Amino acid sequence: MSKGKVIVCRCEDVTLKDVRHSIALGYADIEEVKRYTGFGTGPCQGKECHGLIAAIIAEESGRDPAGIEPFTSRSPISPTPLRILAGAGFDDGDEDEAYDGEEGP
Amino acid sequence: MAGHRLPEFGRGKAVSLRCEGQPLRAYAGESVAVALYAGGDGVLSRSLKYHRPRSFFCLEGHCGACLMRIDGVPNLRACMEPCAEGITVEGQNAYPSPDMDVLGAVDWLFPEGMNHHTLMTGSRLLNQVVSKVVRQLSGLGTLPDRSVQDTVRCEEIEVDVLVVGAGPAGLAAAEAAAAAGARTLMCDEQDRPGGSLLADPRHGAAEADRRAEAARRAGADARARTTAIGYYPEDGGALLLAGPERLARASARRVVYATGGYAQNLVFANNDRPGVMAARAVGRLLVQFGVAPAERVCLVVGKHADPEPAAALGAALGRAGCEVVMIDERRETIVGARGRVWVTALEVASGDGRVRRIPCNLVAVAAPPSPASEAARQHGCAVELRPAAGGFAVVVDEDGHTSAGGVLACGDVCGATTVERAAAAGARAGRTAAAEALAEAR
Repeated sequence: MSKGKVIVCRCEDVTLKDVRHSIALGYADIEEVKRYTGFGTGPCQGKECHGLIAAIIAEESGRDPAGIEPFTSRSPISPTPLRILAGAGFDDGDEDEAYDGEEGP
Repeated sequence: MAGHRLPEFGRGKAVSLRCEGQPLRAYAGESVAVALYAGGDGVLSRSLKYHRPRSFFCLEGHCGACLMRIDGVPNLRACMEPCAEGITVEGQNAYPSPDMDVLGAVDWLFPEGMNHHTLMTGSRLLNQVVSKVVRQLSGLGTLPDRSVQDTVRCEEIEVDVLVVGAGPAGLAAAEAAAAAGARTLMCDEQDRPGGSLLADPRHGAAEADRRAEAARRAGADARARTTAIGYYPEDGGALLLAGPERLARASARRVVYATGGYAQNLVFANNDRPGVMAARAVGRLLVQFGVAPAERVCLVVGKHADPEPAAALGAALGRAGCEVVMIDERRETIVGARGRVWVTALEVASGDGRVRRIPCNLVAVAAPPSPASEAARQHGCAVELRPAAGGFAVVVDEDGHTSAGGVLACGDVCGATTVERAAAAGARAGRTAAAEALAEAR
């Protein structure tokens, strides 16, 4: 191989080696690889790396691609300034549910 | 790199930006990333961990590699920010500049990578100190110059058919749905409809405009720079649509996802070097923006890529005066990109293992786009991992029905396909969605 890192998640600088290391440690599920390496947690939220790393996991672990589930997609899907979201008025829910400064369960 | 604007290309009004304190010529209709590229500024910022040089890869708002500080606001995608008179543009995550970042040493100090799980874990105190230092070195941008007070009002939208995405599939779906008599809205995150048509020398802006006009004439409402950022199942379900100065909660009897796919990279050493770009980004530079991207281009056709659009792009680059070397990943293996900051060569191994070095100032990679299935997944649509089709593709039947009730999909989001097939699937999905929505309304 040529010298230099093989980047599979550009946002978080995750390398092919990092993904292989995670799989070798037994963190071979897509959610586990995500948590161990941090791939898919940057500004692009997996747009560039999700399919690629899922395919690498299938290949490295010899699993059928059809059996591999994607990680959960979270909103906002695309970078959105908070000031735009602030107009959504999603906070008119149950008073009891309001944040009271205590840690959640 | 040496990209330059083609002289005979029709452009918008000339404007002047301030880039790192220097004036930069640009044209209305160009994004900041395009203006910088055409002006010779390649490296836009640095990556957050190893401080590797970064420039845009996709030019479509997806890769997250062109984040810059624009008019005092950090982390904006330079490829999605339109050029306007007097705006200021700065690189970020770099000292003193993205071209020459002293923190780039991190990349050299850790040639084998830096595992944050095992970094300095021996001593708790040392770990805390190192964490503090690392926090100063990494992270994305710095806080904005000023706080913002103004918010936007959330608009309520109710239609029969909502088409998300206005590429070949979405435009055909919107036209068909509107022609069938359904109140139809299509939205697209780019500043003009057309999707991949705008990056494809076989079609181009004129063809994109023609299809968009046909959809509008049929009665479809169109919104540009409007992205579906999430599906919320409460109160019958709604998609949240967001744009630079707008927010809308859209509910529809039928939703058609024609969100297309995200440009993908191939796997080789230094595949993140600035100058390694998606073939579609290179196509956009040439076709949509009239920029000859570089003197010498290596166009790599990945093993799962459709060779036809790649060949068309290669020919169009040749016509624009670029020297083009076509590399077929089915026959040769990409070893790595060379170049300290910007790419200067591509190393390719032939079947017998011999490695040749091809000098170039741009590497265009063609790979199947990864289905943009996030919103559809939030909406409950089943997907399937199909590596040859780019990633997690939405599963559909012949008419475009997904596994979720009232939700259809068409085009690249169901697995990479051709422009013609995407348009045909879009027309079928649009007709079906309209018929079902109108039947339900009765």
